[in-house]
Amino acid sequence: MLGRGLKRKLSDYEENMAGLSSAFDSSRSLPYLLRRQLVLNMCLTKLQTYKMLVEPNLHRSVLIANTVRQIQEEMRQEGTQQPIGVCPGITPGSHSYAGMESSVISLQLPSGISQQESNCCDLGSVEDPIENSLLIVSDDDMSSAISSILKDLDFVEDISPPTCLVPAGDDQPKFPESTSLKLEDDRQDLKGAECVFGSFEISNSTSYLKDLAIDDIFEDIDTSMYDSDFCCPPLMPRPPSLAAEEPLKTFPSCNSSSASNIQICRTDLSELDHIMEILVGS
Amino acid sequence: FLGAGGGNDIQWCFSQVKGAVDDDVAEADIISTVEFNHSGELLATGDKGGRVVIFQQEQENKTQSHSRGEYNVYSTFQSHEPEFDYLKSLEIEEKINKIRWLPQKNAAQFLLSTNDKTIKLWKISERDKRPEGYNLKEEDGRYRDPTTVTTLRVPVFRPMDLMVEASPRRIFANAHTYHINSISINSDYETYLSADDLRINLWHLEITDRSFNIVDIKPANMEELTEVITAAEFHPNSCNTFVYSSSKGTIRLCDMRASALCDRHSKLFEEPEDPSNRSFFSEIISSISDVKFSHSGRYMMTRDYLSVKIWDLNMENRPVETYQVHEYLRSKLCSLYENDCIFDKFECCWNGSDRQNCNFLPSPLCSIVMTGSYNNFFRMFDRNTKRDITLEASRENNKPRTVLKPRKVCASGKRKKDEISVDSLDFNKKILHTAWHPKENIIAVATTNNLYIFQDKMN
Repeated sequence: MLGRGLKRKLSDYEENMAGLSSAFDSSRSLPYLLRRQLVLNMCLTKLQTYKMLVEPNLHRSVLIANTVRQIQEEMRQEGTQQPIGVCPGITPGSHSYAGMESSVISLQLPSGISQQESNCCDLGSVEDPIENSLLIVSDDDMSSAISSILKDLDFVEDISPPTCLVPAGDDQPKFPESTSLKLEDDRQDLKGAECVFGSFEISNSTSYLKDLAIDDIFEDIDTSMYDSDFCCPPLMPRPPSLAAEEPLKTFPSCNSSSASNIQICRTDLSELDHIMEILVGS
Repeated sequence: FLGAGGGNDIQWCFSQVKGAVDDDVAEADIISTVEFNHSGELLATGDKGGRVVIFQQEQENKTQSHSRGEYNVYSTFQSHEPEFDYLKSLEIEEKINKIRWLPQKNAAQFLLSTNDKTIKLWKISERDKRPEGYNLKEEDGRYRDPTTVTTLRVPVFRPMDLMVEASPRRIFANAHTYHINSISINSDYETYLSADDLRINLWHLEITDRSFNIVDIKPANMEELTEVITAAEFHPNSCNTFVYSSSKGTIRLCDMRASALCDRHSKLFEEPEDPSNRSFFSEIISSISDVKFSHSGRYMMTRDYLSVKIWDLNMENRPVETYQVHEYLRSKLCSLYENDCIFDKFECCWNGSDRQNCNFLPSPLCSIVMTGSYNNFFRMFDRNTKRDITLEASRENNKPRTVLKPRKVCASGKRKKDEISVDSLDFNKKILHTAWHPKENIIAVATTNNLYIFQDKMN
């Protein structure tokens, strides 16, 4: 994440979330994909919060994990049915996702990048490779997030020896930590274009991401606590060095078009504000 | 059933309220369970601070024939203390999750109370006499010098002020890795079950160092976990039969005679999902928060987030009746998910089994079900008349013998006078625990930290 280290106040976050969930509840015209994205983000946020608890509630964790799995399955099916990747009803450049920007929580997962890369290559012909690469669901990312939570619960709760030596509540082992830090550095390099690339937040309604000036939007989100999180060492498919290189491969067009993307970002901001106002009912 | 008259309709009146008046709720005072004993004479509550408070109904006043006895504090004791599990660095909450009474066999009363990890059998006994006139002891307990004793006398019992003592007789510990959500006493009155998120154990009331695991749904790989146990109960008549509900909205009926480990259910009760109501939150709201057998054992009732369902044990593929508790919340699920209200665990209960409930028409013994909602509202559904009523537990209605006014929530559109709109509901005021006197039309309704007692307006 590209935050400047300023902590976002929990109350602000909660207000925004409350605004978004009432938007979800009251507005029938919110596109399905946006609503799904909102729900997914809320789920991931909750799981993340539970992960930080000494003793997360098993019942709630399971329910939320199932919701994430359900959305994941849906996205997976959409991904196989529509290789082009543009979701029905969503056109690039549409602004109705403005409300999402404050609720995006980025959680790093290095392991999913390989999948993104392979999928992206297939879509080379599509207009907007960034959008499409972000359209691809990284199943591994979500699965490993759920896995890591449930595994932690097992270790915390049960007497039987854990299969995965992840100490509950401790910082992540060094192996994935170094990986994620390296990713962070790489991302900084690419910041003009791909925005929230490489992080766990799954978005297949993604045009808003390229529309936004990332620095402005995310400046007050402190994601330092998410940086070394959500790793699952046994599931690491590749050595860290390769994984770190993925960002560069995945978005070949990013660097060259970064300037024009920023341009697009700025002009759309005012429309963005307008949409935000509508959504939060101010 | 709306209090307008008719021989069968119950007219509920405020009777009493127990608990602090302040709006500022002390965390420890939050009521976490409510249960009448088998005769209805005693009413127990457990709270988040690990305390049990037992109220006793006064003997009916012969001159005041219009009201039944009031409930007054009979005994208060600290059932569970907070503990620290050093091995796992976890604090174990002292909150009382459930209380279940044993049927009375002698002068003393027994109940089981449980927190997340440990079940305790408490004996509550009265002492209203004490021996006096010992030869070797003074009245204050000091020993006499034997050389000063010149005569002998027989000690006698003299009356004293009533003292109610609670003592822990059994402690059933270390059998649950996960959090206990239910306890249920078997109809043999010798055994009971305790259920946590993934396992159910069978105990003998006399034996504390052993329990049998009868259900275990923990997968070999925790990553594959998709379902947890949410409630369990023994059948009221068949001592080999019990049910347990899950977070996926299913109920499994198990027969302990089939095998030692009841991992294979005898019956699976599940209603197919209504595709028109499908949403991202469908699974979450289908999670069953309570299951209760009817007194006959022919039916069982389940509570999920939005509804109460009555199941016939002979029909597994769908409930025989479904009652919507607060359907107007269906369009608010995202907000309720965001603020975690969607995980609230509402309980439900049947009316008492005595036939006094219905004077004119023969009716099934269990004909009314009750459950709580938000804004300190609670709901009752009459299975015979198919009518329902919403009432409020609030100190504003605290005139005894005044019939409670029915409440109505306006889901959308123009709000009528006296209706309350969905957006004005206070989701912090939730009624999760209610209980119905086993023989009379007296109900106990717990708000966050107050206990309300309502009774039928007797003619």
